[in-house]
Amino acid sequence: MRALIFAIIFLFSTSPFSLSSVISNIDKSNIGLSTRFDGTSILVFGAISPENDSTSLLIEIIGPSTSVSIRKKVQIWGIWVNKKIAHFQDIPSFYQISISNPEHPILKKIENKKLKSLFYDFLEINSTPKDGNVVEQYYDELARLKKKLGKLSAFEEQINIIDKKLFSYTVNLPKKIHPGIYKIKMTLIDQQGVELSKSEQSVKVSKVGIQDFLSYNSKNNPVFYGLFSVIIALFLGFSAAQLFRWLYR
Amino acid sequence: MQIFLPIADVPVDLFVLLILGAAVGFLSGVFGIGGGFLMTPLLILLGIPAAVAVATEANQIAASSFSGVLAHLKRRAVDFKMGNILVVGGLLGSAVGVEVFRIIKSYGQIELFVSLCYILFLGSIGTLMFLESLSTIQKSRKSENTFKQKKKHNWIHGLPFKTKFKSSNLYISAIPPVIIGFIIGILASIMGVGGGFILIPAMIYILGMPTKVVIGTSLYQIMFITAFTTFMHATQNKTVDLLLALILIVGGVLGAQLGARVTVKLKAEEIRILLAIIVLLVCLKLALDLMMTPNDLFSLTYGSGL
Repeated sequence: MRALIFAIIFLFSTSPFSLSSVISNIDKSNIGLSTRFDGTSILVFGAISPENDSTSLLIEIIGPSTSVSIRKKVQIWGIWVNKKIAHFQDIPSFYQISISNPEHPILKKIENKKLKSLFYDFLEINSTPKDGNVVEQYYDELARLKKKLGKLSAFEEQINIIDKKLFSYTVNLPKKIHPGIYKIKMTLIDQQGVELSKSEQSVKVSKVGIQDFLSYNSKNNPVFYGLFSVIIALFLGFSAAQLFRWLYR
Repeated sequence: MQIFLPIADVPVDLFVLLILGAAVGFLSGVFGIGGGFLMTPLLILLGIPAAVAVATEANQIAASSFSGVLAHLKRRAVDFKMGNILVVGGLLGSAVGVEVFRIIKSYGQIELFVSLCYILFLGSIGTLMFLESLSTIQKSRKSENTFKQKKKHNWIHGLPFKTKFKSSNLYISAIPPVIIGFIIGILASIMGVGGGFILIPAMIYILGMPTKVVIGTSLYQIMFITAFTTFMHATQNKTVDLLLALILIVGGVLGAQLGARVTVKLKAEEIRILLAIIVLLVCLKLALDLMMTPNDLFSLTYGSGL
């Protein structure tokens, strides 16, 4: 909170010299994915000094990149079989965008531009020619499935603006999220979508505890992990045998 | 209480897993079975990826069979020589199985493959068990005693590499045990089962081993094979979820102890019919999941390229 107060003082002290500016802070810069992690939220807050009433604030949250395949079930001999139909290389695992003014004239255009530059441009299709309709369908499916998983949201969340100067915003992260850096970008735009001022924050999401130990070693030290798993199992088997022998003596 | 499994990468309810582990453990205590062939499909039905369910279940069976083998060692009911020959075949089978698994997984079809294997196995074993128990019940109603133990002199005795198995009081070729072990190794690695339901009848009817060493020796082999399979899956496929395994081991141990001490007021045939029905129900559910039109034809998967 102290940071916010300083920020506001700073903003008001400098406002006569800059036309539009945005400053921001977040309530946490680290999120630990423990075994009990059940989703969390990040509070983003700050101050804006809009040039005029037509200035809007955009907030975007961009999660770490992953590769994603879309699979479609097709029926073969009466059973449903998964078939990979499209692949997106290195796209954000989580993306959310919101605007302070939901009546902004070019909202749809902004959404399409953002989704194109972050997601759609990374489509890789296997052998089939890039037929316009097919490609559109892949885009739609990607967006629909990501929205269903709570990993994509475009202009659905509200930004709270107080007295045209202060803002607060809550990002809700689902329980299944990818570890990595989550960037939070705040941008002031005018009616034409021209960027006036920017501010950026980041949150580090990492696995912790058993979660970290097991997934790290499974990936990076598979021989150790394999032996460890076997030894733990044998030890528990042995302990169980001893325990019950003692109990039913 | 919801927990997040690190390798399976799915959130699950801890108590559901513990109860599932205990329930399957209980059944294995009552029926004297390993339970892997029930646990793996149930984990898949719970939403755990098939590849993780198979590898993790192998890890659980390593624990439960070790615990079992210790009890049989005390009673000197393990034929080590036979066990070791079975292990040799089993290690080969497991290595082959894990490699096949890896290849199918790289094509993204492991879920389908494991489901089909299970439908085939559960379907045939459930049906056989059901029919056999039915006919036994009918025969016992007519009060005919049909149990005759015959010492057969079959084709097994014509094979080379004959060797003496002292504890089993046998002089047979080493080839059949290696082949049987190999098949068990394949089953363990692609289905996450101990394979006792095949190994035990094979030891009795094909190898002609005496009943008193059969269970101890089968557990001895299963322990080595599942431990090795766990290791192979961990290094080749990276699909062993140790947290999931720990929960299942704890649940399974408690359930099995309860099951072994419950006095079931049912006849052996009736117990087997009950087990056959459970097996067939799980099989049916897996089959329906493959055949019913899915709610959503499309799905997302994370990971590397085309």
